[in-house]
Amino acid sequence: MLEVTAPVKTTAFTVALIGNPNVGKTTIFNRLTGLRQKVGNYAGVTVDKRSGKVQYIPEKVTLVDLPGTYSIHPNTENEIIVHRVLNGLDKQSKPDYVLAILDMSNLERGLFLVTQVMDLGLPMAVILNMEDTAKSQGFVVKTHQLYKALGVPLIETNARSDKGMEQIEGLISQQLFETPKPFLARDEFNPPTQREEIQQRYEKIREILEHSVEQKDLKTKALTDRLDKIFLHKTWGYLFFLSILLLIFQAIYAWSTVPMDLIDGFFAALSGWVYQLLPPGVLTDLITEGIIPGIGGILIFIPQIALLFGFLAILEDSGYMSRVVFLMDRLMRPFGLNGKSMVPLISSVACAIPGIMAARNIGNWKDRITTIMVAPLMSCSARLPVYVILIGLAVPDENLGPFNLQAIALLGMYLLGVVAVLLVSLAFKWILKTTEKSYLMLEMPLYRLPRLKDILIAMYSKSRTFVLAAGKIILAISVVLWVLASYGPPSRLEAAINNLEAPDANAGPEEIAAYESLVASAELESSYIGIMGKFIEPVIKPLGYDWKIGIALITSFAAREVFVSTIATLYSVGADVEDELTIKQKLDQEINPVTGEKVFNIPTSFSLIVFYAFAMQCMSTLAIVYRETNGWKWPLIQTAYMTALAYVSAWAVFQLLS
Amino acid sequence: MTADRIKKGEYAQIEGLEPSEFAVYLMEMGFMPGKRIRMLHQAPLAGPIAFKLENSIIALRKSEARAIRVFLEH
Repeated sequence: MLEVTAPVKTTAFTVALIGNPNVGKTTIFNRLTGLRQKVGNYAGVTVDKRSGKVQYIPEKVTLVDLPGTYSIHPNTENEIIVHRVLNGLDKQSKPDYVLAILDMSNLERGLFLVTQVMDLGLPMAVILNMEDTAKSQGFVVKTHQLYKALGVPLIETNARSDKGMEQIEGLISQQLFETPKPFLARDEFNPPTQREEIQQRYEKIREILEHSVEQKDLKTKALTDRLDKIFLHKTWGYLFFLSILLLIFQAIYAWSTVPMDLIDGFFAALSGWVYQLLPPGVLTDLITEGIIPGIGGILIFIPQIALLFGFLAILEDSGYMSRVVFLMDRLMRPFGLNGKSMVPLISSVACAIPGIMAARNIGNWKDRITTIMVAPLMSCSARLPVYVILIGLAVPDENLGPFNLQAIALLGMYLLGVVAVLLVSLAFKWILKTTEKSYLMLEMPLYRLPRLKDILIAMYSKSRTFVLAAGKIILAISVVLWVLASYGPPSRLEAAINNLEAPDANAGPEEIAAYESLVASAELESSYIGIMGKFIEPVIKPLGYDWKIGIALITSFAAREVFVSTIATLYSVGADVEDELTIKQKLDQEINPVTGEKVFNIPTSFSLIVFYAFAMQCMSTLAIVYRETNGWKWPLIQTAYMTALAYVSAWAVFQLLS
Repeated sequence: MTADRIKKGEYAQIEGLEPSEFAVYLMEMGFMPGKRIRMLHQAPLAGPIAFKLENSIIALRKSEARAIRVFLEH
């Protein structure tokens, strides 16, 4: 047999990892690279491009983890990527070598992909992974026979127990890849159709496997079969899924409070410390009131995002997630969504950002865009402080039977989010046009115990991506908002402060504090953002809002929870802006000077609640949608429809109630 | 008959694939003529159907399963 050995490279080189989904590719990638990995995008599409430097190998080796596919024939987005990379159409990522990974208990289908790569003539090696499962199912692979038939190096591994990892490292560092002969002879004059080619390829693979694989029937009843009887059950399956969801939310809320408070406290302290350290001035104000809180506002999401991604990784790695897709697909389809939309939508209850990032797993363009468009309608955790205050004003703290009315109202807001998601998806289903047919074809892998290391790596790399991608944009807008809120036409500002009565020389600390908060309120009122608030007042008047609420709407465009602190400053509650009760009491007493009625009466409060439920008031989400869809088109459409929906619904609520 | 009509627990042999946009994907995933499949589960309301094919479990929508022609095994 003719053996062609690839020339050994002396400079840096690239190895591409290729294989079917669920063959342990990511585990092998994580073992080889550890934390030295980067997640990026392929140009033009949003398939994760993961690459990393190989640990323990001094040479500069870059490992590229290609998306899992069944074929390199370019049909789906993932296949297009693999096709482009392997054919060198994607200049920067043309690999020098290919490492193809096979599931030893599923060789036939794996070899279908591997032999396609062989036809490309790239130097390669093959890894026979999941040796343990194959053995337990009675598969005996005659490696030497298989090696003779394929003509490329073979390594047996079990990545989950680190077996064979050293051999892979040795193979890479010594560049023992070999260039195979084409697997299927090309007939240039009379090329076969794709169907014929698939047929020929499978026939040839079956011939090889007849000589190199034996399967003994071990008569074992697989764990997966038994678990599926429960998890895919028409009743128990759904109940189990629901309990898992509740458990995850409970855990996210319970576990993230402490780190979030710590981050909050840390940045407040940092601002204070920097303020003391630097000479007073505009630059110091910008740093302490604009930049540091801006960064803090991004980092505070990390505990929730990391935890959520941890749980998602557990569900994914255990094999359970594909069962959720199986259970939910039929229920989501009438709304133009997909079983795979479940993960993004569930995640969005914590925060829309990881939710939108998780939509990458949806292969179909239309289903994916629809999911991204509706995900921010799910009631995220940033709405919670706003709801708590407004429901406190609008709903009496009384019991209806065993239930507290305010708790029912809060639950109602979550349901309202779900209903909005379904209805808006329905609208997108009619509007969006695509020739791409929606399909499922979902492999449900064997259940496996997730590996802690893989989960930690997922939590780390996803959080890092979030901070780097969303961070820049959030920071920029926070600074702009700060400038608008801190500056105003000087004459106007002076006039506003002069109108206040300054405390006399022997005033107590309480009076001085009260005066200072009045000054802060007056300053905000005459700042540029205050002017903007007055400017939009005619527009928001039909919703029952005054210009002060208008300011809160503008500032909370950065993030919904800013509503609380803005309102607190505006109504000069005083230094203790964190105390929600104080704010609530103050708002309750606020009287409209023209009508003599409460500003936060029931129609206005409900109108605001509904506005916050639907309005796109989260820069981080916009930044992520921009990144995930590669442009401003979708984030702008999203902002437009959500604002319109919020405005019309809030108007209707206000008019109905008043 | 087609694969969407196999009852739970029954085995069938693939006869061929109906010409459809799914045919190529299905073949690439291993739904090849001559292969034996077993219907394992179906989600409620005529939802997706899970088949055992060789050593893997693959879920197909009804419309996708309809593209697979099968003989029932007795």
